[in-house]
Amino acid sequence: MNILKLKKIRKHFNGVLALDNLSLDIKAEGITGIVGPNGSGKTTLINILSGCESLDGGTIIIDDSLRSKKMRAYENSIFGITRTFQEIRLFEQMTVLDNVLVVLTEKNVLGAIFEKHGEYHLMKAEELLKVVNLWEKRNELAINLSYGQRKLLEITRALSTDAKIYLFDEPFAGLFPEMIKTVMKIIKKLKEEGKTVILVEHNMLLMRELCDEIVVMDNGKLLSKGKPEEVLNKKKVLDVYLGK
Amino acid sequence: MDMLTQIIFNSLIAGAIYALVALGFNLIYGATKFFNFAHGSIAIAGGYATFYFNKILGVDVYLSVLLGILCAGFLGYISNKLVFSPLRKKKSSHMIFMVASLGILIVIQAVISLIFTSEFQTLSSSLASSKKYIFLTGIITKTQLILFLSVLLIMGLLVLVLKKTMLGKTISAISDSEEIARNIGINSNRVISYVFVIGSAIAGVAGIFVGFDTGISPTMGMSLLLKGVIASIIGGVGNVYGGVLAAFMLGLIENFGVWNFSGEWKDAISFAVLILFLLFRPQGMFGKK
Repeated sequence: MNILKLKKIRKHFNGVLALDNLSLDIKAEGITGIVGPNGSGKTTLINILSGCESLDGGTIIIDDSLRSKKMRAYENSIFGITRTFQEIRLFEQMTVLDNVLVVLTEKNVLGAIFEKHGEYHLMKAEELLKVVNLWEKRNELAINLSYGQRKLLEITRALSTDAKIYLFDEPFAGLFPEMIKTVMKIIKKLKEEGKTVILVEHNMLLMRELCDEIVVMDNGKLLSKGKPEEVLNKKKVLDVYLGK
Repeated sequence: MDMLTQIIFNSLIAGAIYALVALGFNLIYGATKFFNFAHGSIAIAGGYATFYFNKILGVDVYLSVLLGILCAGFLGYISNKLVFSPLRKKKSSHMIFMVASLGILIVIQAVISLIFTSEFQTLSSSLASSKKYIFLTGIITKTQLILFLSVLLIMGLLVLVLKKTMLGKTISAISDSEEIARNIGINSNRVISYVFVIGSAIAGVAGIFVGFDTGISPTMGMSLLLKGVIASIIGGVGNVYGGVLAAFMLGLIENFGVWNFSGEWKDAISFAVLILFLLFRPQGMFGKK
C-alpha cells in the first residue's frame, strides 16, 4: 500500500525549479531512501512533505487524505509526519529532557496551562533517551551537547512524536561509528513497528543496507526508483553521480 | 519619619511598576523576538480604561480595575491579530515589526488623546488612597501596598506558569525556535496570541497603578516602556526574574539619585545605568556571556 502519493508537485525559488512536476508514490511500512546530487531537490521535498515549505502546484495525498496546499507546519502532526533537519535544530536553551517532554505532552494551549508532565511522560522520555544514551545528560542544556549527541537528541525528539511517517534528512552525517549503529538500529526498529521512514543520505553503503526502495532525483525530477541494488547500478544513475 | 526608609519605600513602588512593564515586555519579547513599542501605550490604555469605567461611568473601582486589565489584554490580542500575526506570516524582518509597533503606539496615543484629551488624569481618589500605613519609619499608602503585593502575586503566578506547566515549556520552545515548535505540532500562532494577552494584561496592571500612584497622560507610555526595557536589559532580556530584580534595582538607583541630585535627573540616571550596562555587561546582570 502507498502511504504517500505525490502528483505533479512543483516548487520554485526565485525562478529556479526545485521540484519539477514530481510524481512519486511511497510505500507504507518500509524505508525509502532519497538520493541525488546536491541541488537535486531532496531537502525541498522533505521540507514540503513536513509543511516547512508551501507547495506551488500539484497534490499530496497522505494515507488517502488530500493535504491542503496551505497546510501549516504544526498541522503535520495531524497527518502523523515528523522530521529531522540536515543542520541540527534543537530547543537550544532547554534541557535535554524538556526537548523531549515538550513533544510528549499537551500542545493545546489551555490544556497545557494546567498540565505538568506526569509520570507517564517522564517514563516515556526516559525510555527514549536511554536508547541514545542521553538519559544521564537529561538536565544539561541542549546547546552544551556534542555534535553527535545533538543529532541523536533531534532524532529522539522526532521519535517522541509517535508519528506514522518519519523524514530523516542526513541522519548519519558527522556521526561516530557507534552512533551510526544506534541510528541504524532505531530506523530498523521503526520499520519493524510498521512505520514509514523516508531517508535522505549520501552514504550509499548505509542506503543499500537499510532501504527497501531508493528514489533517485536529479534537477527536481524523478530519475529512477526501485530496489537499491537495481537502481544504484543503473547507468543513468551512475552518470548523474559520477559524471558522464 | 526617616528619609532613608521612605526612599526605599518609594523605590520599591517605582520598581514594582517597572517590574510589571518588564515582565510583560520580556514575555512578549521572549516569544516574538522584537521590540514591541506598543507595549507602553497598551499599559497606559489599561489605565485610561479603568479611568473611563470608574470615573466616567461610575463603575465600582475594583471592577473597573479588572475591566482595565481585560481591555489591555484585549488590545494586545488585537494588535497581534491585526498587525503582528499577518507580518509573521509574511516572514517580515524584526525591523518591520518594530516600526509597526511604533505605529500602534502612535495610534493608541492619538485615540486616547481624542477621547480623554491630553490632560493629566488621576485615579487616586477611587482606591481609598487616603489610607496610610506607617511601617518602620516610612509611610506607605494603601494603593502602594496593594501595588507592591500585586507585583509579587503576578510574578509568582507567572513564574509558576512558565516554570511548572507545559504552557511555560511551550512558550520556551517558541522563544527558542518557532520553526521547530511548529514542526513538533505546536500551534505557535495561538501560543503567541496568549502571550500577547497575558503580557499586555500585565502591562495594563502597570498602567492602572501609575494612574493610581501618580496619574496618567496619553504620552506616558513611551517613558514607562523605556523604564521597563532598561530593567529588561539590565536583568538580561528574556529573563523573567532578572527583569524584576533589575526593575527594583532601577527604582532604588533612581530614587537615591533624585535624593542626592534633583528630580530632573531621574531619567538621566536610568539611561546612564543603561549605557553603563550596554558598555560593560551587555548580557545583563544574570545573562551568560
